[in-house]
Amino acid sequence: MLKRILATVLVLAVVVIGGFAVYAWHGELAPMNASERPDFDAATIEKGRVLAAAGYCATCHTAEGGEPYAGNYPVVSDFGTIYASNITPDPDTGIGAWSPQAFRRALHEGVDREGRHLFPALPYDHFTKLSDQDVDALYAYLMSEVKPVKQKTRDNTLPFPLNLRFLQAGWKLLFVDFGRYQPDPDKSDAWNRGAYLAEGISHCGACHTPRNALGAEKGGQRYQGAVIDTWTAPALTSRNPSAMRWTAADLTQYLKDGADAYHGVAAGPMGPVVHAGIAELPDQDLHALGVYFADITRDGDSAPLPDPDYSSVQASIEAGKPDPAWRLDNGERLYTSACAACHYNDRADNLQPTRPDLGINSATRLDDPANLIHVILDGIPAQAGNQGVVMPAFRSALSDQQIAAIAAYLRATRTDLPAWPDLPARVGELRAHVGTH
Amino acid sequence: MIECTINGETVRLDADPDMPLLWALRDLAGLSGTKFGCGIGLCGACTVHVGGRATRSCITPLKDVAGADITTIEGLDADGAHPLQQAWRELQVPQCGYCQSGQIMQAAALLKDIPAPTDEDIDAVMTGNLCRCMTYPRIRGAIRDAAAAIKEASANG
Amino acid sequence: MDEQRLPSDDRLDAPRLSRRAFLVSMCAAGAVFGFPRSGLAAMNPGTADGQPLEAAGRRYEPTLWYWIDTEGRVNVNVIRAEMGQHVGTAIARILADELGARWQDVHIDHVDSDPKWGTMVTGGSWSVWQSWPVYRRAGAAGRVALAEKAAALWGVNADSVTVADGRVSAGSRSIGFGELVRQGLDRPFSEDELKALPLKPHDQLTLLGQDLKALDIDTKTNGQAIYGIDAKVEGMVHAAPILPPTRYDCAITAIDDSAAKGIKGYRQTLKLDDPSGTAPGWAMVIADSHWAARQAADRVKVSYRTGDATDVGEAEIQAENRRLIDDSGAGAIMDTGDTGDVDAAFADAADTFQADYSTQTVLHFQLEPVNALVFRNDDGVWEVHTGNQWQSLCLPWLQKALGVDEDQVVMRTYMLGGGFGRRLNGDYAIPAALASKALDGKPVKMILTRADDSHFDSVRPPTLSRLRMAFDADKKVVAMDSSVASGWPTKVMIPGFMPKGTNGEPYDPFSSDGIDHWYGVGAQRARAISNELAEHTFRPGWLRSVSPGWINFAVESFMDEAARHIGADPLRFRLDHFKAEGRNAGQAPNSVGGARRQAAVLERVAELSGYGRDDLPADSAIGIATTYGQSRDMPTWVGGAVHLSVDRESGRVHVHKIWLVVDCGTVVDPNGARAQVEGSALWGLSMALYEGTEFKNGRVVDTNLDSYQPLRMIDAPEIEIELVESTEVPVGLGEPGTTVVAPAIANGIQAAVGARLRHLPITPAAVLEALKEGSA
Ligand code: FES
Ligand code: FES
Repeated sequence: MLKRILATVLVLAVVVIGGFAVYAWHGELAPMNASERPDFDAATIEKGRVLAAAGYCATCHTAEGGEPYAGNYPVVSDFGTIYASNITPDPDTGIGAWSPQAFRRALHEGVDREGRHLFPALPYDHFTKLSDQDVDALYAYLMSEVKPVKQKTRDNTLPFPLNLRFLQAGWKLLFVDFGRYQPDPDKSDAWNRGAYLAEGISHCGACHTPRNALGAEKGGQRYQGAVIDTWTAPALTSRNPSAMRWTAADLTQYLKDGADAYHGVAAGPMGPVVHAGIAELPDQDLHALGVYFADITRDGDSAPLPDPDYSSVQASIEAGKPDPAWRLDNGERLYTSACAACHYNDRADNLQPTRPDLGINSATRLDDPANLIHVILDGIPAQAGNQGVVMPAFRSALSDQQIAAIAAYLRATRTDLPAWPDLPARVGELRAHVGTH
Repeated sequence: MIECTINGETVRLDADPDMPLLWALRDLAGLSGTKFGCGIGLCGACTVHVGGRATRSCITPLKDVAGADITTIEGLDADGAHPLQQAWRELQVPQCGYCQSGQIMQAAALLKDIPAPTDEDIDAVMTGNLCRCMTYPRIRGAIRDAAAAIKEASANG
Repeated sequence: MDEQRLPSDDRLDAPRLSRRAFLVSMCAAGAVFGFPRSGLAAMNPGTADGQPLEAAGRRYEPTLWYWIDTEGRVNVNVIRAEMGQHVGTAIARILADELGARWQDVHIDHVDSDPKWGTMVTGGSWSVWQSWPVYRRAGAAGRVALAEKAAALWGVNADSVTVADGRVSAGSRSIGFGELVRQGLDRPFSEDELKALPLKPHDQLTLLGQDLKALDIDTKTNGQAIYGIDAKVEGMVHAAPILPPTRYDCAITAIDDSAAKGIKGYRQTLKLDDPSGTAPGWAMVIADSHWAARQAADRVKVSYRTGDATDVGEAEIQAENRRLIDDSGAGAIMDTGDTGDVDAAFADAADTFQADYSTQTVLHFQLEPVNALVFRNDDGVWEVHTGNQWQSLCLPWLQKALGVDEDQVVMRTYMLGGGFGRRLNGDYAIPAALASKALDGKPVKMILTRADDSHFDSVRPPTLSRLRMAFDADKKVVAMDSSVASGWPTKVMIPGFMPKGTNGEPYDPFSSDGIDHWYGVGAQRARAISNELAEHTFRPGWLRSVSPGWINFAVESFMDEAARHIGADPLRFRLDHFKAEGRNAGQAPNSVGGARRQAAVLERVAELSGYGRDDLPADSAIGIATTYGQSRDMPTWVGGAVHLSVDRESGRVHVHKIWLVVDCGTVVDPNGARAQVEGSALWGLSMALYEGTEFKNGRVVDTNLDSYQPLRMIDAPEIEIELVESTEVPVGLGEPGTTVVAPAIANGIQAAVGARLRHLPITPAAVLEALKEGSA
């Protein structure tokens, strides 16, 4: 999710070209009084609410324990911390004085009402694809449903010259392709709707696409997977590590429930993406996202999906059957007493989404064991993954060596992928890492 | 303040968010049927249900169960007459009894997902629950009996 | 009593509580206030909060051991601790049977430690055996009194009256127990009268041997059973101890609690001052909740002056065991009868055979970590609420620690979340008492972490046994010389319990039982030696089956090896040496039949298991062994067989099935007997293959389940049990099943792959090593 990517985003380009200043300059748009605002109908407000959820606006614009949308959520980077702005309708410290035009300019062009360039912490590179109506719906929602809160946004701690906002213009020039979403006439309506949501409001690429040294998404490697705050956002292309293909139905269910039986659960940064975000979308839209990603994970191959191939599930289930020699390997021994009770499934046709099978789970299959280790260390709260269900946290229970042994055991027995190197050290690093979530 | 549902009722607990659910249940909610054995998730004595899943409460921080629905041995069945509890009595499974709340809660989750478990299924799911009195042969038997009783009840009902 | 409220009171946000939630919290408080002082004296395991039964109307107490009320309810006072053996049910059954009560009317109370109950100990598998005569006489007294009363009422001869099923009858007339009590019954019995009472012949005992449901089962299936860890009292504070590096010789030099000060609910850290010497070097962190105490304890820094024990490890202790055994002057010589000159027999022998057997440190790992709640009540009496197996041993330590007289301390016994001998040693009650003392009698509830429970455990110590046998030219056994060395729990905790050997040296029977076995071996010497290095490093303990657990591993492995040494069949060899003659003929009442009964269980188990069959796959075999538990004074005869296979590649031993044939005399409770045998056999398997830790720097290395590995469900093989039908005195069952499994496994391994394992636990690595040696 966006707030986790800023470490890489906050690399600013200092681009010196002729006429740059002219390009970079934007005028202030006139403030607007609350009384001057247009009236919003209920349907528009509701649409805005759903879009705000699907864009996770609250997640980044709300500080821990703070008022919703009042900003000051700290985005920590190697360069310094910037604080998300107050987007409540407070006229002085929030966006209460913004006109719909000012709001559109911010989302479409990354320029605030006063004419200052916004840091790409705000993913205007995606929001630029949003239709005017959708931006207006977001505006309607924020202006009418969100309580105005007077709270000044804290100054960022970026050092000079990184704190010079006008330099952002260069970054935009280099990396952002401004303009609304253009439907692909060769694709279905559902596909186009899914693409619009994914590329626009939900900015999936912000996490799932690798970024360059200057923090911009690499155009040529769209959805090829990236590291977000030590977690891996898996590739959403044919490089996706899942043992089982993602079908549109699986994806739809995953985005709705935070889990599906054949791929695992939405943990870590993906937890709130689903539960505080995308799951709010109507089923039709979730289906559209499913159709879109099912297609791109198959690199556009439009032949009908084969029936799920149960053989990898079957193999994983076989590997998880109780083994009388379970004590010989330390990892297997610990897994058998600590993990199997919840992760065991008896048959491929009785696979339970709340018993995530760890052989077909992407966490076991990624090149980096971080996702698996994170989950073993800190579990999954009721608010993430399978909602209402928790995975306990073994941080205080097991040593680095022991967690490494479990991870190594799973990798060796449930996949045919190469062993993860230096596991105990990796556990140690991740144990010491303090996440920003 | 953490709000969750315990045995069907909403409870708000003002406690350290890192306090393990086990101690919140035992010391704050006054439900001492859930036991402390190892404290590291490896004995199962502290097993409760969170969202219907068997969960080791000793390593589950309170903050992670905010909003969740928790069931303890006291709430498994209003009359203590869950088919597993009946089978447990019938076969006189408990010795010291200390592990048995956890065993029963784990077994209840097992039967929900795998209604007719083989011995292999029972071993796989129940091996995480230590019984120091080693009542394992009877636990196995009682799970089989309860599964049969549930099946029969649903066939007749 | 302190005014302070339970911490839970203000953590539950009252206004938002629904009615049910409120009840939940009230229930917690209810449990606190619901134990009136009189109620605290006893615990009824059949009720939700352990609340004892109140008599309806007047009550009749034929003896100390029970009363009958006007509703005909029979309430039996049990002085034994309930730890899974359903002891209250067994004892109440004995009484009810003799009395003629209706089983549905029977209730039990586990009583407090009032001196009137006499010695209180639950261990050694003694409970049923000791209770049998006492409670039968008590039952007979009630029966006689009820019969006399009814006879007087009806003007008939007392001999014509029958008492059964809760009613007294003569001809067509019949009256219930309750009605007779209502009419006034207070016939007392003197000790002499009790002894002279007629007891029912066996065939009139109707409850005996029946499958009755144990009275403590229900509450153990619905979370209502109250264990020590559940004890609560108004105003209690919570304590988390910080343990010194080793058990003895550690003194606190400094405590720095600055890092704990920020923990909400943290109160203080006490440096305990222990006049009883039980818990030197303990600090106790006091807080408003267990969790706060725990959190604070992790942050308090304690510095120590340590003693020599920090240099001692498993290897040093075993080296000392070996040195002691090598020293022929060390130890006590047990009385094995007048069997001649052992040294001369060995000197003249045509052949001798010798082997050493050792066992590693084993933890109790009872599932409920030790805990205690202690306070001074309104009468100025110190109440100690905890699960305990030996109140009579613990009370004097408590008196010394608290500096008070005998009548100033009382123990309330709760359900035990496992005993296995751990709670014979009540050391854990002392620090809680000292903390309460330091807080002027405020209730202090202390719970140890699992790791601390293990660190402070009174373990089964590292042991070494050396057995030697001498043969004449005809390969006949002419002498046996056996020595065992280990730390002695009895010497450390209750030296008065130690008998003297023939050389005048005292010995710990619980560290030597098993060595004076029932085989006729000619001249016989049995020597028991205490390892003081071990005793100074830690506090050795009594652990389920105690020395028969390791000595029988040695003796029964040795009998197999000795047989093989002379080319005899191990089964035949054993049977040939079970001669019920001399001191091995047995003695009334407990060991009637002697070696003959041991031979019988062995033969039977060999038959049952198909021992000796030659159709088993390669690398698998059936191993046998026979033991008697716990002691020659009170033998439960056990024959055991194990079907196993060995994986030559990994060294793993897989046990497929266990057979046990047990002769424990009269079986009072068949279902319970099987449960005990099942559990103890699996303990035996656990200690044979999986369980073991070691001392390093004076402390055990494995303190929790991440590395300590007791048997789990997946390891539990099929078990077939046969209980010998008998009308002999009922003897113990909690432990003997433990003793036979390890030697049967070791013997089976040799039969399967030719490797001999002489150390417990038998790890895959050790098997591989032995296989390598064998093939070299
Ligand atoms: S106490 Fe929670 S698993 Fe052991
Ligand atoms: S019955 Fe005692 S631990 Fe299971």
